[in-house]
Amino acid sequence: MRLGFLLGEVGNGLRRNTGMVVSVVLVTMVSLFFLGLGLLAQSQVDTLKGYWYDRVQISIFLCTPDSTDVAACADGGVTQAQRDRLAADLEGLDPLVEQYFYESNEAAYDRFREQFRNSPVLDNIPQESIPESYRVQLSDPTRYEVVASAFVGAPGVESVEDQREVVDKLFTFLNAVSLSAVALAAVMVLCAVLLISTTIRLTAWSRRRETTIMRMVGASAFTIHTPFVIETVLATVLGAALAIGLLWSMVHFGIAGFLTDLLAGQGGMIGLIGTGDLWLVAPFLVGGALLLAIVTSWMALLRHVRV
Amino acid sequence: MITFENVTMRYAKGDPAALQDVEVEIGRGEFVFVVGASGSGKSTMMRLAILEHEATKGRVLVAGHDLSTLPNRRIPVLRRQIGTVFQDFRLLSGKTVNQNIAYVLQVLGQRRHVIRQLVPETLELVGLSDKVRRMPHELSGGEQQRVAIARAMVNKPPILLADEPTGNLDPTTSEEIVSILDRINRTGTTVVVATHDTSIVNTFRKRVVQLRDGRIVRDQARGEYEAVEVELV
Repeated sequence: MRLGFLLGEVGNGLRRNTGMVVSVVLVTMVSLFFLGLGLLAQSQVDTLKGYWYDRVQISIFLCTPDSTDVAACADGGVTQAQRDRLAADLEGLDPLVEQYFYESNEAAYDRFREQFRNSPVLDNIPQESIPESYRVQLSDPTRYEVVASAFVGAPGVESVEDQREVVDKLFTFLNAVSLSAVALAAVMVLCAVLLISTTIRLTAWSRRRETTIMRMVGASAFTIHTPFVIETVLATVLGAALAIGLLWSMVHFGIAGFLTDLLAGQGGMIGLIGTGDLWLVAPFLVGGALLLAIVTSWMALLRHVRV
Repeated sequence: MITFENVTMRYAKGDPAALQDVEVEIGRGEFVFVVGASGSGKSTMMRLAILEHEATKGRVLVAGHDLSTLPNRRIPVLRRQIGTVFQDFRLLSGKTVNQNIAYVLQVLGQRRHVIRQLVPETLELVGLSDKVRRMPHELSGGEQQRVAIARAMVNKPPILLADEPTGNLDPTTSEEIVSILDRINRTGTTVVVATHDTSIVNTFRKRVVQLRDGRIVRDQARGEYEAVEVELV
């Protein structure tokens, strides 16, 4: 079958079934929008967690030259002697301290830039104000207080944080958003599958004379099925494009435009996803649309179009 | 060219046989009328030959293919060697005469210059060169059937099967249609016509294979057909 003829057949099919094609586009759009929302909520969780979240329980932030307002840092930045002393103390807390890592100012600044890549506050923060730290992994995370009391106020220590306490509530919320979105997406995908099958059944019925003739003159199954599959693929890919458009507007205007300004204005600092994260999710949405279209239409064709 | 070896066909288990132990051989270049009353098994024979259905028992051989062992992916190859014509013409109502015939070649992936050459040639064969741009609804029944024959023949298949091709036509037009089939047969194409139209069978005097209740009751060269007798039995 020649390409021109194939495209002509596809065009005819789309024209004849405009209503059904539009509904496939819309249902695909809604299902992929929810799927994208779920995935973006997950990447928001990952952005918030940062590098250390899943690895350690406690962060001991050391003094920077700017942190003179804290009593233990009255002498300015942490010294090498203080660093060594703290490391020795951590060693002494074995076996409660299972493992600890030292994060230098450079490494901390790099990670900070990565985590706040979508935030305008990034430009206002000089490298030296990002503290170096010891990241501590506990054999029993509930005994956080033991370590905290040992290091709070120690020379060279600006603060000791159990970051999880702060962010875990937010994570619960985001995970709930993510789960509900994915559950809704699953329901919508089921709708899309049923709708595509019905559409193909109707299209096959309206085109039964053509397919009968194709069959009689010895067209292969591939030739008979391909126009149907291409029509479905076009409809679902259009749906995916619209879903990505909606998600982009949401991220660009809603999060990057509105939420970031709002949070920055409140003085809160929180790493947010940006349109870059959407482009990481988008290929999965388009791939999902293609898979949905090809698998569903092929199954429907096997049932409804005899070859 | 077409051989039925001891073929029995039941559409569903427990149904009466639509064909029972049918044994017939149709040679290359023959013209055969398959006759019989409605339900005698004519259309079933046609359907088995294009592998629309598979025989319940026995072997059907068409153009060198044993249909009982033909894999699904080879069915299109078989069907490209058979042109089919039906009682209801089955033309595409939204396409002109020219487009209806070109459609077959487009489906089979022929190049445009081949299509431009073959379509007018085939239309000339059926005497419709002056109607290329007409839509099917602008044509008489006889003309529509001629378009259907042109469509069946445009790919130059060695076999032409016509299932009641004159069923919707008046006697004069029917005769014209069979004349065209006869002309096609003279170019070497094997033609099988299933019909219960006595007048065309008796006018053209070709080989007649008569079916009754799924069995062959007569196979006669230059045969006649008296439908009334059959109907009374």
